[in-house]
Parts: sequence; C-alpha cells; structure tokens
Amino acid sequence: MSFLALESLTKRFGSHPAVDGLSLAVEQGEFVSLLGPSGCGKTTTLQMIAGFVEPTSGAIRLAGRDLLAVKPARRGLGIVFQSYALFPHMTVGENVSFGLEMQGVASGERARRVAETLELVGLRALAGRFPRQLSGGQQQRVALARALVIQPQILLLDEPLSNLDAKLREEMQIELRQIQRRVGTTTILVTHDQAEAMALSDRLVVMNHGRVEQIAPPHEAYERPATAFVASFLGKTNLLDGASVRPEKIQFAGRGLAGRVRARVFQGNHWLYQVETGSGLVTVIRQNTGEPMPAEGEAVCLAWNSSPPQAKLGEVSAQQTEGS
Amino acid sequence: MSKNGPLALCYHALFVAFMLAPIVVVVCVAFTPEGYLSFPTDHWSLRWFYAIGRYPEFISAFWRSLWLGALSSAIAVGFSVPAALAIARYRFAGRDAMTALFMSPLMIPHVVLGIAFLRFFTEIGLGGTFVGLVLAHIVIVLPFALRLTLASAVGLDRAIEHAAVSLGASEATVLRRITLPLIVPGLMSGWALAFINSFDEVTMTVFIAAPGTETLPVRMFLYIQDNIDPLVTSVSACVIAITVVALVALDRAYGLERLLIGRSVDAR
Ligand SMILES: Nc1ncnc2c1ncn2[C@@H]1O[C@H](COP(=O)(O)OP(=O)(O)O)[C@@H](O)[C@H]1O
Ligand SMILES: [Mg+2]
Repeated sequence: MSFLALESLTKRFGSHPAVDGLSLAVEQGEFVSLLGPSGCGKTTTLQMIAGFVEPTSGAIRLAGRDLLAVKPARRGLGIVFQSYALFPHMTVGENVSFGLEMQGVASGERARRVAETLELVGLRALAGRFPRQLSGGQQQRVALARALVIQPQILLLDEPLSNLDAKLREEMQIELRQIQRRVGTTTILVTHDQAEAMALSDRLVVMNHGRVEQIAPPHEAYERPATAFVASFLGKTNLLDGASVRPEKIQFAGRGLAGRVRARVFQGNHWLYQVETGSGLVTVIRQNTGEPMPAEGEAVCLAWNSSPPQAKLGEVSAQQTEGS
Repeated sequence: MSKNGPLALCYHALFVAFMLAPIVVVVCVAFTPEGYLSFPTDHWSLRWFYAIGRYPEFISAFWRSLWLGALSSAIAVGFSVPAALAIARYRFAGRDAMTALFMSPLMIPHVVLGIAFLRFFTEIGLGGTFVGLVLAHIVIVLPFALRLTLASAVGLDRAIEHAAVSLGASEATVLRRITLPLIVPGLMSGWALAFINSFDEVTMTVFIAAPGTETLPVRMFLYIQDNIDPLVTSVSACVIAITVVALVALDRAYGLERLLIGRSVDAR
C-alpha cells in the first residue's frame, strides 16, 4: 500500500473543475513533482492535501488513514509557500522554532533542533535576523527549515524557487535535492518549470486543465511522452508520422527525409537547426564535435530511429493539446 | 526625485501658511493682556494662562476628554478587529450591509446623532452620564477605527496564517501569535484617528453632556456663549502645546508616518 494516495480527487470552483479526477500514489521517501502550465490545478491539489481547500469529491489517504478527516493543524505536513510566508515579526530562529513550540517540545530540545535544522540549510549564523533582513534565497531556506524542523510526514513545496533568479535557482535545486535525500522526507513539489521538475523528481505528474496527462519518471516521460501535450511541455519536439521525435535524436544522414536547412544557430556545445521538409519544419539539435556541419541553404537528409510504441500519439491527446 | 519649481514652492508655502495661520493667531491672542480677544501688539502677558487655574472645570473637562477619547477609541478598535477580519476574508450574506452599517455614522450629521442620543439616553436612564458619552463616541469613531483596521486586515497574506496552521497552531494561537501582531500597526493608526475625532467632537456631545460630564470642547463652547474674554484662547494654546509634545514624542518613539498611515512591520 502506498504512503500517500490521492483517489479521484476533484475540486470545482462553481462549475469550473480546477482539479478533475486526479489519482496518484506516492511511496515513502519519494520526490514527486506536479508539473503543468499556470492554472492547471497544481496549487489547488497541494492545498487539498494541506487541508486549506476542501475537495468536491475524492479521497486522500496518508499511511492508510483518511486525511480529509484530520484538521489542517493536525496533519503534520511541512509546507513551503511560493511567497515563503515567513512570520515577519519573528526572527529566523523564532520562525523555525514555532512549529516545535506548537508541539510542546521543551525549550532545550527546541533550541537544539532549531540549530540543527538551520545548520542543514546553512543559516546557523543568521538565527537572530528578521526575515526582511534576508535575501530571497535565504528566506527560501528559512521557509524550508521551518517546514522540516517538525519532521513532517510529507513536505509540500509550492513553486519554491520561482522567485529566485536563474543562477540561484539552479544552486537551490541541487541543494534542495541533497537536503531531501539526507532527511528522506516524502516530498511533493509543484512547479511550472519542466527543467526544475526533471532535475529534482523521482517521478513527474504532468497536468493540464486539472487532469493528469502522464505519471512517469522524468526520463521516461521525456523519452516516451504519453500525449502530445507532455511531449511539447517537456521540451522541444517534432511531430513526425504522428510520433514525437526529440530534436537531438535526429541525425544528418546519406538518406532519409529530404529537406533544406532554413536556419542554424550555434549554441556552444550544440547546433540548433531548422530544416524545411515535406513533413513541415523540423528542429534538429546536433552536438558540437568540432566537425564541419551543414550550412544554411544546404540540402540534407534526416534520419532517426523509429520511435518506441509508447510514443505513438493517439487522437485523444491531439485533442487535449488544442486548448493549451 | 525631481526638484520643485518656484511656482510649486510658492504654492506649498501659501498652503502651509493657510493651514497654520489660525493656530498661530490663536496662540498669539492667548498672550494678550487685554480682557477681550485682541492681537497683542506691544505687551505680552501670561494673565490668561494663570486664569485657567481659576476654572478647575476646564482641567477636569480636559481629563474627561482624554479618557473619553482613549476609552471609546479602544473599544471601537476592539469591535473593529473581528468585523474587519470577517469583511476582509469571507463572502457572506449581509457583508455589504454590515460594512455600510459600520460606516454609516460618517454619513449622518452629528447634530442629528446628538438629538437622537439625547432622547435615547434619557429614555434608558443614561442621560448626561459618562457611560452614555462613551457609547455615543464609540458610534462616531467606529468608522475611523474600522477603516484602518480593515486596510491592514486586507493587506495580510493568508499564506502566513496557513503556514502557522500547518505547523500545528490552533485558531486561537494563530490569532494571538500571528494575525494580531501583524495588524497592530493598523490598530494603532485606527485608534489614533479615532481618538483625534473623539477629542475634537462637539456638535453631538453638546447635546448629551451634562454639567458634570462636559468634555473640553463642550466646556469651551459653552464658555464663549457667556463670555468674551480670551480664556478659551489660552486653553487652546495649552491643547496645541500638549498636541505638539505628544506628536514629537510619538514620532521619536514610533514614527508618525507609520502611525497615521498604518504601515505594517514588514513593509520594506
Ligand atoms: N479560490 C478560488 N476560487 C475560484 N477559482 C479558483 C480558486 N483557486 C483557484 N481557482 C481556479 O482554479 C484553477 C487552478 O488554479 P491553481 O490550482 O492555482 O493553478 P496552478 O497552481 O496550477 O497555477 C485556475 O483556473 C484558478 O483560476
Ligand atoms: Mg500555483
């Protein structure tokens, strides 16, 4: 039996379904990401697990228990909010200590665990500062420490890195993954950034319009997308013979699909090509090996391995991408 | 920041002069040696300040006004907190009606309120009592208290409270440890504005105050009906002096801008 189970979870706001029959089983210690465009129902799903939004129908089970019967304050979940939601009138130490205080942990033990957790996120020296005196990245870590210190059964992260600049975001991704590995907390991350989701997660739940499009490990979802939506959301893709073919899987060959190079862009470690063919415009990515490459206007032939059966995209999925 | 042009500077100077002129005139007149309202030209005198000592009812009226303002404003702010939180967060039947009701004292002329309260308090046996004054003042300062309390309640990030709940805090704990501390700046501003309005009120209070329960403005108003001497100007000068001292002290201790605009502690 899985650790956390969402069963046909549905939330309607009026008649509009924000989350529509979402089912998901999460194993203990797993890192799962809810990935999808803005407005697809990720936050609503997270808030239903947290208890701040009541599902219209469906069930949530945590370790076999009915979680919906438990008050939000008793669920024992650690949440990191997109806005961090730190307590502005408390110091970093007091912020982190708050959850332990609520659990009635004695003050000596509390101080020890606060120090330990701040150490984990590398903020031990800043315990006496107020949130407004910290940078965005530091506030992020305080929020993480505050959620982790209560040793939550599940860690819920709602777009935790989206307010950071690109470089910091990459650093925090690596750090977040390391911290999660170390403490081993079951984690659900919500994000619209496919690179972030793929970098961090054991499994992706790709969502669109409140529905699940695919649940799979990142590599599998990328290589064998279940729908055209998943294929295009996870990266550049070409639709050839009704199948999704990634640009880096296509080679220039002696024979194959004939075309003409319309544009090429050098990007350091690789070349990005746009090739005009009988099947439309095809994007090709070739690694830069130092060899000479086809120039713009040159006639080329494209070849690729026929894709595995999972990547065949049916009628249904083509329909689903229309609105996106 | 762009510089003000000469025209703008001139305008600002005139505006400030226009605002300050009555105060300056009142304070100057307070120093007249004459027995009537006149601008002191060659002689200045403290005669009318000493004269206040002969009218202890002015002193007691001053303290009464202070207490009345402090108490009615505090109670009005106390009422505002649950009302503001409900109005800011929930969409419920009667929400707009409730807001309109709390704001309605702003729309009703104080003279009308005065007559209504006079009649009502006499009916229920509160006529001319301090309790009656407090009740009436709560009604007229409530809109000011609620306005600023509401502004800070609306500006509060719900996620902060949700964070506290997720960490195991009960509703009462969230209110005491998170919500209230975060809206305190708004409450202080609301209280200050309410106090100023209560301290200043004469149109309504003149109807419901009795000889033992006169507020300072009412006492002054009644005095100038029977007298033409400058005693009220020296009393005014004293009130102005106390106000200036209080404002400077508040500014040093807390920041006037913060108090009157109600910035929250985490404003950057
Ligand atoms: N409280 C609410 N009332 C009405 N509609 C809402 C509410 N919260 C979310 N929605 C709607 O539900 C959909 C999903 O929202 P959300 O879960 O926040 O999406 P995401 O986090 O994936 O961007 C959106 O269309 C949004 O407008
Ligand atoms: Mg969201």
